[in-house]
This record gives sequence, C-alpha cells and structure tokens, in this order.
Amino acid sequence: MDFLQQLVFALVLGSSYALIAIGLTMVYGILKVLHVAHAGIYTLGAYMALLVVTHLTRNFWVALLLGMVAAGLAGVLIYRGVYYYILRRPRIVPLIVSIGIFTAMNELFRLLFGPYQHAFPAVLRFPMVITPYFLITQKQLLIIVLTTFFLLMLYLVLNKTRVGLAWQACSQDLSMAGAVGVPVDWAVALNFLLGSALAGAAGVLMAFYRNMVYPTMGNVVAYKAFVVVVLGGFGSVRGSVIAGMLLALVETFLGSLEWFNFPRDAIAFLLLILVLMFRPKGLFGRL
Amino acid sequence: MTLGYLLTVGTFTGIFMILTLSLNILTGYAKQVSLGHAAFFGIGAYAAAILATKFGLSFWAALPCVVAVTTVVGIFLGLPSLRVSHDFLVLSTIGLNFIVGSVFKYFSFFGGSMGIVDIPTPTFFGKAFGTVGYFGLTFAFVTLAVLTSIYFSRTWGRLAMEAFGEDETAAKAMGINVAKFKIYAFAISSAYAGIAGALWAHYVGSVFPENFGFDRSIDILAMLVLGGLGTIRGAVFGALLLQVLPEALRFIQDYRMLVSGAVLALMMVFQPMGLLGKGSFLYLRSLGILRHFRRGVASGAP
Amino acid sequence: MRKFVIGILLFMFVGLYATAETVKIGFFAPLTGFAAADGHSALAGAQIAVDFINAAGGVNGKMIELVYYDDAARADQASAIARKLIEQDKVVIAVSGSYSTPTRAAAKIFQEAGVPMISAYAIHPSIIETGHLIFRVGMGAPVEGVAGAYLAVKELGAKKIAILTMDNDFGVSLSEYFKDTALKLGAEIVFEKKFPLGEKEFRAILAQVRVKKPDLIWATGYYAEAANIVSQARELGITATILGQEGYDSPKFIELAGEAAEGVIIVTDLNRDSEREIVQKFLAEYEERTGHPADMVAASAFDAIKVAAYAIAQAGTDAEAIAAAIDNIRHMYDVVTGPFFAFLGREAIRPVEVQIVKEGAFRFFHTFTEPEIIIPPGL
Repeated sequence: MDFLQQLVFALVLGSSYALIAIGLTMVYGILKVLHVAHAGIYTLGAYMALLVVTHLTRNFWVALLLGMVAAGLAGVLIYRGVYYYILRRPRIVPLIVSIGIFTAMNELFRLLFGPYQHAFPAVLRFPMVITPYFLITQKQLLIIVLTTFFLLMLYLVLNKTRVGLAWQACSQDLSMAGAVGVPVDWAVALNFLLGSALAGAAGVLMAFYRNMVYPTMGNVVAYKAFVVVVLGGFGSVRGSVIAGMLLALVETFLGSLEWFNFPRDAIAFLLLILVLMFRPKGLFGRL
Repeated sequence: MTLGYLLTVGTFTGIFMILTLSLNILTGYAKQVSLGHAAFFGIGAYAAAILATKFGLSFWAALPCVVAVTTVVGIFLGLPSLRVSHDFLVLSTIGLNFIVGSVFKYFSFFGGSMGIVDIPTPTFFGKAFGTVGYFGLTFAFVTLAVLTSIYFSRTWGRLAMEAFGEDETAAKAMGINVAKFKIYAFAISSAYAGIAGALWAHYVGSVFPENFGFDRSIDILAMLVLGGLGTIRGAVFGALLLQVLPEALRFIQDYRMLVSGAVLALMMVFQPMGLLGKGSFLYLRSLGILRHFRRGVASGAP
Repeated sequence: MRKFVIGILLFMFVGLYATAETVKIGFFAPLTGFAAADGHSALAGAQIAVDFINAAGGVNGKMIELVYYDDAARADQASAIARKLIEQDKVVIAVSGSYSTPTRAAAKIFQEAGVPMISAYAIHPSIIETGHLIFRVGMGAPVEGVAGAYLAVKELGAKKIAILTMDNDFGVSLSEYFKDTALKLGAEIVFEKKFPLGEKEFRAILAQVRVKKPDLIWATGYYAEAANIVSQARELGITATILGQEGYDSPKFIELAGEAAEGVIIVTDLNRDSEREIVQKFLAEYEERTGHPADMVAASAFDAIKVAAYAIAQAGTDAEAIAAAIDNIRHMYDVVTGPFFAFLGREAIRPVEVQIVKEGAFRFFHTFTEPEIIIPPGL
C-alpha cells in the first residue's frame, strides 16, 4: 500500500523534472549550450501565472496558458538576444553568460515581487482518485495528466512534423543543416519557444502544487535538471523523461527511509558522478 | 580610522586572489572548467578548523597537513576528469559543491550543521596576528601563489596543459601524458585552494557548511573570467574587482547582485577574454599607451 | 543635473547634521540572497523601533541613527561589515538581524574590538559564548525546545511523538533539546528524520510518519518548510497535532498553508493578543509600513534595538557600561516579545508564548512562566 502511494509521489516529482529537463536537453542537443537560465524561465512562468491569478482571473487554465506563453517568449528572447551572438565562442562563454542571466533574473524577481513566498490561489475543478491502496489528489492527477499530454504532443512534433525533422538535422550539424535548406534560425527559435514553454508549465504546475511562488524557486531545479539531462544522455528527449522519473523514484524512496538522513540534493549528484565514471555518455546516451 | 576595515576587505580579497590564481591553473591553463572550486576551498577550511580545534595544532603546524589533505582530495576528486570531458566535467564539478557540503553536514566529525566554532587566530612567535599582521600573512601567500603561477607558466607543464586544453587527441599523439598533467592541475589547484581555506577559517573564526556553497564557486569562476582567463594579471585583477567593487557599491546595495549578474553576462558577450586577458581592449590599450610612452622617452620628446 | 547637485548637498547636510547630533546603532541583515525575506522583515522592525524612540525624543536628547548593511547571509561579508560599522561608522552598539553563520563571524570581531552586539534572533548557542559583550534578545534553542516538550507532553498529553528536523543549526539545536526533555517527561519518540533547509517535498516522509500513528508531530522549520509540512500532512490525512516553533511565526505561514494551518500550535516569543500597548502599536505600524502583518523576526529586531537604546540611555556610550546596563535589565516591559524579566547569561529571560492558528490568525493558547522552563538549563 505504502509502495503504491510513494510511486504516486515519485511520478509527480518526476513529471516536474522531466518537463524542465526536456527544454534543456533540446537546447543542448542543437546548440551545445548549458542553458542555466532555463531555471529562470521556470520561475518566470510561475510569476506570470501568479500575476494572472492575482490580477486577472482565478482560472487555472488561463494562468497556465499565459505562464507558458510568457516563458516561451522569454526563452526565444534569451536565444535571439544573447546566445545567437556567442555560439561560436568557446563553450565556457555561453555557460557563464547563462549563469549571469540566471542571477540577474532571480534578482529581478526579488526586486519586482519582493523576497517573500507568495501563495498561488488558482481555482480548478479537476477529479481526484481514491482507492484503498493509494490516493491521488486533484493537483497530483492534474500534473500527471498534463505531463502525459505534453509528452504526447512533443512526441508528435518530434516524429511526425517537418519541425521535428529540422531539429534532428540541426542537432546533427548546425551549419550543414543550413546548407541543405533548413531555416536554422527559425528551427532553433521554435526549439527555444517550445522547451521554455514546457519549463514555464512546470513552474506553474509546481507553484500550484506547493502553493508557493518565490524568487529562488529555480535554484536547486537549475542544477538538478542538468543531472537529469546527463543521466538521460545529453540531447535525448526520451532519455531525459526516463531519467527524470528514475531520479524522482530514487529520491522518493531513499527520502522516505527513516534512517536515511543524507541530504537529498546530494544524492542526484552522487548518482551523476557515479554514472559518469562508468558510462561517460550518460545512462541512455549513445556510446 | 578605517584602516582595519580596509585591511579586512583586503584580506578577503587576498584570499580570493589565491583562489582565482589556483583556479587559473586548472581552468585557465589546463582548460578543465570547474564550478566546484568552493568545495576545495571548503575542504581546506574544514581541515584547518578540525586540526586547530580537535587536535590543537597551531596554524603553522597544521598548514602542511591542510595542504596534504587538499592535494590528496583534489587528486581524488580530479579523477572524473580523466573519464569525462567538457560539459560533463562542468556538471560533475557542480555536483562536488553539493556532495562536499552534504558530507560536512552529515558527519558529526565535521560538526554537522552546527559547524565548527572558536578557531583560534594564528600566532607568530607567540604573538597573535592582528589585522595588519593577518593582511601581511595573506599577501605573503598571495605572493607565493603568484610566484608559483609565474614559475609554472614558464615550465613545460603549462605548455603541456595548454596543448591538451586546446586539443586532447593531438596532444596525446604528440606523446603528452594528458592524464598525468590533468591530475597535476587538480593537485596544485586544490592545494592552493586549501591554503586559501585555512586562511579564511582562521580569520573568520568559524566554519559552517553553508560558507562553501555553489554560489561561492560561481563567484570564483566569475572573478577569473572577468579578469582574464589564462593570465595571472587577470586572476589577480578579477578577484580585486569583484571583492572591492561590491564593497564600494554598498550605496546601491539592493541592486548589487542584479548588476553583477548583468555585468557578468555583458562582459562575456563583449569581452570574453576578460578585462585584462590576452587581446582584451583594456590590455591592448594599456600596452599601446606604455609603448607610446616608451617611444616618447627614447626619442627624447617631452 | 540641478536635482543631482541639490541631492548631494542635501545628503552632505544630513550627513553633517547626523554626525553632530546622533548616536549610531549598527545593524546588518541579509537583504539579498536566499535569506532576503527575513532580512527585510528584520530591517523594517529595526527601523520602526528607531522611529518610535526618536519620536519620543531619542536617548539622552540625541536622535538614534540606524546604520545598516547587507551581509547576504555570508560570514565574510559580515566580518567586513562589522569592521566597517566599528571603524568607519563608529557605532556605539550593533544589532544583528541576520542568521547564525554571519552573526557568529561578526560577534568575534565586535567582541575583539570592544563594541557590544545584540543578536536579534540567530539561535546558535556559540554566539553569546563569544564574549561578555555579545547578547541575544531572541529565544534560545534550549528554552524553546524544552518549552515545546513541556507543552507537548504535559499540556497536550502526547505519548507518541514524531520529530522532523530541519538540518541547520536552528532545526538541529531545537530538536535536540525537545527530544531530551520529551523523553525525560515520559513520551515515546516513534519517528525521527532530518530534511534540508529549503525542502518542499515532504510527502514521502509524511507517509512513513502516518504509519507510526503519532499523537503529535514536532517539526522544526522556517515558514516555507512549515507550510509545506503542514499542508502535505493534512493532505495525507494525518490528524495529529502539529507543534512548531518561532520559525513558523509569520503570517506568510498561514497564507501559504491555507486551511491546513488551522489548529497548528507554535512555541514562540510573540503574543499577538497581548493587551500591552507597545505590542499593538508595533503590529499596527508594521502592517501599515510594509503592507503585511509582522513576524517574529521583525519583532525580535525591534526589541533588540529597544534594548540597545535602553542601555545607551542608562550608560552612555562606553561599551563596558552598556554591557553592564544590559546585564542589569530587570522587568523591561517596553518590548514586543517580552516582557523581559532579566538578562541571565546575556540572554533575555521572558515568558514563553504558545500560539494557536484559529480562523486564519495566530491566537493566544498558553503562556509558560515557570522558571524551570523559561530559564535556560545550566544557569
């Protein structure tokens, strides 16, 4: 009984990891940039939704939609405004730029909205599941269903559309893709739009789930999402989803053990280093 | 007078100079980008704190032990660099911050989350270092670090490191033992970070796991990059700038972090070689002025 | 340009005026970084205290000037700031509105320089052990933990207790004293676990707690962790009483936890239902200035400034005399988290308040005045 209940918790946590990691892994797949500011986008989505909920309407769906739109646009802006100009520089350059943007974004949120945690009073009618073995609350079911929906959509885009094909071409070789007629700029911008919108969705969902929006909410997420990306094999969307779920499972089950007091965030990185030592291209990466 | 205040800021600046100089060997020369330097820094600080409070060793007696500990740990933590490269390495060094911090927190030997307090001020021939003395002590070590860096930058080791930093396969083909030099870089780098940690611990008087978090690693890398990666002058100048500027900018204290984040991003876009790095605007200009001046002197013009 | 020049002139004028006629109290708090929320609360509380005192004529005919800096909750920043406050600003006394790590580092420097310092709410026991010039106004971990255990076992009749501990100096020291006393009073500890500061996901742990069926959960944490613990526990159908401490003591806790906060009991030093005028005046003023109700951090900073001003009024500007004046405080009523009966071992001795959340607000539940509870063990 307890096992199934813990599985539900892990599934919800894993959904949030997966949604964030997808954007990161897509960006890395094409641009080879460690996009730390992605976590700032996650926070941005949550704040945008908070603005909607407190000033416009309590309706969750409107908040989610606008949060995703804002996040998506911000992602494109970061790409076209910054990364675009430094792609050919040594790898360390975009990484540090990204860290700089992330710091500045966090500070901007703090200055605009204050350092305090805000409640997220959205209203939503959604069913819940009660069985003798486990309980899935309204919010948990929402996260699981929505994540499944997003993943399905993404699968279709990746495999059944020309956009997906263009991304694949770009991730093989950016300049070659341009040479054979792929509109590289558009493809990459769309890539950022979609990946960032998903991160924004994760931000809104987590804000709703925990009833909390605050400036530093992206901090741990920023780096843990990278662990997920690495474990999934850089650039593989499917790998990231599986790795996100696996990490959540490990964290949830270890976290539930009474005698296990080693800080949770370190587990992810221990796992990362172990995996890198034995499989330097990630758990699911092509060797 | 505000001398003590200036010397305090100066002492911390000196400690960060040692850190940037040591990171320069690892990241500037060997091109092993590390976002985990605070972990080595923290290991040095904790080693010094434990040796001083639990074993009663003096600063001087403990220092060689601290260096030994951090060197060994540095070699051990550098091992992943033999297996993984580039972005994977960056991520595992990020992980080091969290893992090392968690170890300090988890084991009561390291004081747990209560930290270690009452670390004594070092003495010199029976007399405790004052503010001036400690400033001098720190800068003695800064000088040592600069000299080591200069010496190192003129040896075969640096050439080897820069060679495999540029292209590992080519370097291997030329017969460079890449693994050996990578480990050298980690060892030297973490030894100096250990000294910086010891200086920090004895100056502040208490260490807690939170002191050596990931944000600290970002700071150190940012200093080095801002000053100029791969140059000694850049490492020194970067630490000076990022330690002193926030102190000087206290009147805009609420916007400090916003500004430093934005400056970091803008700098990298427009001057990725850093302020004083090879080929940077400032460095070229100052060289030009210098040359102009010299020529003026040589020709006897006023 | 003209505005700028006028601004500069005005600034210089104020500066000149200030140096001539004021007595300076130094203050540092984390205004940026992860602890910024508490830093801003503390600063607002301190500023209100200064304004109240100045409105009533200052101390010994001089206005109080609050010189404050941001330490970003970092020890080395706090060390530099301490020097700056001592040497550049020449403060008579300093107040820390910061966490334990920076406060401990600054305390060392203040003690060495012979400037008294009062820690508003930093809880680490070693802070006041730094020296005879370092005081604490906030409640220490021993008192709070012991009072929590008495409340749990004696007043609420708990027999099976689960303990959740936030893994920093605050959480660990509170739970240590709570556990020792609860065991001594005959309760059984059925579950014990640590979690990191900033943790948001407690469901996995709470599902294990549920299996052990405790009557009471003692959970340390700041209000963000607390809100998550409480709402997730109720979500899982845990009905046991949840007992918190001063970390919960913020209206933000109730806002974030919503209905789940109802019935949560906390051990703290601020009684919002107090009939004392100063308490109501402070609460009203704080809400008017900041737009949200006051928390424990703000109240502690307020009181630390009050104690500092009182000592200066009694003793002038000599450090040893100020320290002696604080040591000699008896029955100080003009504070929010008090009244302070005395300062023993450089810590404020005061009644321990117990508040309960009712209809979305902290309400009076109980007050401990028994000496064996409110006086720290070993004194």
